[in-house]
Amino acid sequence: MSQLKRTQLYDLHVAAGGSMVDFGGWEMPVQYPTGIVAEHLYTRHFCSLFDVSHMGRLLVSGPQRVEFLQHVLSSNVLALELNEAQYCIIPNETGGAVDDAYLYRFEADRYLLVVNAANTEKDLVHLRRELAHYDCTLTDISKEWAAIAVQGPKSKELLTQMAGGVQLTELVKNALNTVELEGRLARIAKTGYTGEPLGYEVYVRSEDAAWLWNRLIALGAKPAGLGARDTLRLEAALPLYGHEMGTDPSGAEIPIFAVPLAKFAVSFSPLKGDFIGKAALEKQYAAYCRIREHDFSDLTDLPKRIMPIALLDRGVMRAGMPVYQGETQVGWVTSGTMVPYYVAEGERLATHYTDETAKRSIGLAYLYSPIQREDHVEIDVRGRRLKAVIPHYHMRVDAPPFARPIIYQAPEQPVPAAEENRRVSALELLKNATQNHIWRQKQCINLIPSENSASRAVQLLCASDPAFRYAEHKKITSFYNQEIFYYQGTKFIEQVESLLVEQMKQYLGASEVETRVISGQMSNMAVFSSLMDWKNRLRRKNTPERLGYILHNNILKGGHLSAQPMGALHDYVAVDPITERSAVVSFPVCADNPYKIDVEATKEVISRYRPEFIIFGKSMVLHKEPVAAIRQFVDEQKIPTTIMYDMAHVLGLVGDYFQKPFEEGAEIVTGSTHKTFFGPQRGVIGVNYKEDELKYGLWKTIESRAFPGSVSNHHLGTQLGLLMAAYEMNTFKDSYQKAVIENAKHFARCLKAEGLDVAGDPAIDYTETHQVIVRVGYGLGYEVAERLEQNNIIVNYQATPEEEAFTASGALRMGVSEMTRFGFTKDDFAALAAIMADCILRKQDVREDVLRLRQAHTVMQYCFDDAEMEEALAAFLGTIGL
Amino acid sequence: MNYPTDLRYTKSHEWLKEEDGVAVIGITEYAQDALGDLVFINLPEVGDEVCAGESFGDVESVKAVSELISPVSGVICAVNEELIDAPELLNTDPYGAWIIKVESVADREELMDAAAYEAHCAEEG
Repeated sequence: MSQLKRTQLYDLHVAAGGSMVDFGGWEMPVQYPTGIVAEHLYTRHFCSLFDVSHMGRLLVSGPQRVEFLQHVLSSNVLALELNEAQYCIIPNETGGAVDDAYLYRFEADRYLLVVNAANTEKDLVHLRRELAHYDCTLTDISKEWAAIAVQGPKSKELLTQMAGGVQLTELVKNALNTVELEGRLARIAKTGYTGEPLGYEVYVRSEDAAWLWNRLIALGAKPAGLGARDTLRLEAALPLYGHEMGTDPSGAEIPIFAVPLAKFAVSFSPLKGDFIGKAALEKQYAAYCRIREHDFSDLTDLPKRIMPIALLDRGVMRAGMPVYQGETQVGWVTSGTMVPYYVAEGERLATHYTDETAKRSIGLAYLYSPIQREDHVEIDVRGRRLKAVIPHYHMRVDAPPFARPIIYQAPEQPVPAAEENRRVSALELLKNATQNHIWRQKQCINLIPSENSASRAVQLLCASDPAFRYAEHKKITSFYNQEIFYYQGTKFIEQVESLLVEQMKQYLGASEVETRVISGQMSNMAVFSSLMDWKNRLRRKNTPERLGYILHNNILKGGHLSAQPMGALHDYVAVDPITERSAVVSFPVCADNPYKIDVEATKEVISRYRPEFIIFGKSMVLHKEPVAAIRQFVDEQKIPTTIMYDMAHVLGLVGDYFQKPFEEGAEIVTGSTHKTFFGPQRGVIGVNYKEDELKYGLWKTIESRAFPGSVSNHHLGTQLGLLMAAYEMNTFKDSYQKAVIENAKHFARCLKAEGLDVAGDPAIDYTETHQVIVRVGYGLGYEVAERLEQNNIIVNYQATPEEEAFTASGALRMGVSEMTRFGFTKDDFAALAAIMADCILRKQDVREDVLRLRQAHTVMQYCFDDAEMEEALAAFLGTIGL
Repeated sequence: MNYPTDLRYTKSHEWLKEEDGVAVIGITEYAQDALGDLVFINLPEVGDEVCAGESFGDVESVKAVSELISPVSGVICAVNEELIDAPELLNTDPYGAWIIKVESVADREELMDAAAYEAHCAEEG
């Protein structure tokens, strides 16, 4: 083995008892004494270290680096921002893979290309041949820099600890950063080859490699070898060059689009121009699209595809074994083995992994393209035909912090419905509804910040006759813009709606208000649709252009679904031709306070992207939004844009104690009427455009995108309730808003004093809104929220800006508005803080304390409750259900 | 590495113990260490005939498959079915985790004692 190459960590592998083997000319550990199974499981459960210093690390720099990379890689290099990485393939002219690789941009003017160890020399020959035509250089830095993959649910915690608490990278996959780990320079990539949702590849100078390896082991990570690396990547269905790429067992080249990851790795962006293999790849892509549409008439360019495969019979599949459907061979297994997993217990978010382990026989196969998921096949295992199935996937990673094995289950057969006594069910429904109402209104302490309780008057009005009526109406210019109603019997509701519009105009300080939208999200969609329509108003004969760029609060930083491309922006946002992603850009947040927008950094973003639309507002909201500062900036810079403030969460706080959006420079305000506001669940849109302004046309569009654009029936019962809520709010807002904000600040201070970890800036008592956020530990949010619910305290478990997803949430998001409405004072919130600390920190049963505190406050405040009102309400109640 | 002296061994790393005319057969500690984590076993059935020097089943590690070679000819009278669900017992307790028992033993392969087998393993490296 003397001629084999050794990495910077060779001596440590030998000292740790690693079984060293020849891997692509490198002497590498295939496993350590614990064995592959234990190493695999430790990665999934805690954190493993993999020496990946054998992989080729090539630095690309020089004036034509981008042109060169665009030519030799399958991906769109221009889509890479600083501190981003992308998976790519090095194609050959015929659309096969010379290798697959990862391209990293740690520095603005240089790219790092990481290739497979066994292919490095071949890649260099291929790349250097092309390099001759470009003014740039390719430097092999494999000796100067070592690479260690740190993979598994604890990887973030261990590395963050070494980084002194600094956020390692943005939370998304492929994010990069350069940090110091205990004083030593490290380039960190949120990438890996294990499928772990939390996993990093860390590049350090060669002289720091052994130090980093040993430090991470001291912190609890364990080394894992190539054997576990292979079973982990197989479970994650990630391709391996030489198995799923390169040539198949018959010696034929595997087309790049046979690999599912190709759809991410290959770009046909015009910015790439012509590149190696483009013509062949375009043909493959056309075939791929036909196959996805179930058109199997021409498979010439993509006869087979790589798919997951799971054995149903007992046995083990191995690479090279033939796969059959009936008597026809339909392909081969390309990778296969027995993979261990931890057995899960419980359901949904209460799912947890036990100490019990099991194994399953899974693989990847290169199969005749028409074969579909759930198809049954047979594998020839050394002369025996074993039954197998094509599963949808072997594992999923959308519920961090764990990679979750998906054990194949046959689709469920529909069960015929049992005989049902619906009268009994109906009676039960009434009883349960009664019980629920009492529980929520008299026994629970509800701290969900997006909820509130309505007064009795509002509740009853919502259930009265208009709840079952129609009142479509539209302004008609022939009648001097008077509202024309399409139905009879609507005079009462017409009056209600016009009174409501007036009350909401007064409340928001708006020139115009639309109240027909029935939710906050619908309000936003009506505005987005209007803006798009307005943008295209002079190009009616063309397909309308979408909106972009849009500046918004990212959902990972507390933004709401109703301003995300995956939410309400979905059908309205453009795709950036350079990045080939949605044309949204997020507000940068302060490094020391991720809940607060960084105004100076925002100005830079605005100057660069010149967003045509700016959406303030979010759902995890502790601070005022810097509307005035950004308005001033875009005016000074003469950047044409529209500023909207989605006040969904804070609609009930509009005023002196929080923000006056129009005075600060917002043009459009949307909101939902049931969070901090007093109403039933509806939406509202307000604008400050005046009739003589050009943009008044946008307001006219908003009206038409509300009706007929969004609703036909606009839910008249709750509209009636909302008018009462608006009367209440306009009468009591001064005392209510003051109490809410004082209570929130006091609640936060008390929770902190009780020993809880309150998020936010202590200098402003943690919050400027109704919300208080408490961190309870990474991934523990749901468990703690569930315990609080068992004790009749209802909170919202949430991922903080440092956490990847709701399944990893480590925070409780709470709001004081509902309990303030039930008359909670600062003293009551102090008592509540103490009770919650007992429950959260000491796991005590606090049900009695909660009930006692709650039952002292069951009468709704900030509403009309004089004798005359009560009498009218009693008479009204008597009519409902007549 | 452990080489119990009350057993006899084959070149293909099976061990054999004969008691009251019944041959008990398993794989050695050296074998399990070389194979790595065992994740699957294919076992014969009681009543099957085995031939000395021929395969009676196979064990699979994460990385590879390996045949089990019978040191004797005869008829299988017992199979250790515990191994079906827990092949890792061959890793953790190779001399306790027998695989098959054979009666009516006829031919035998060339067998080594513990010292000779240890030397054989040392040679294989």
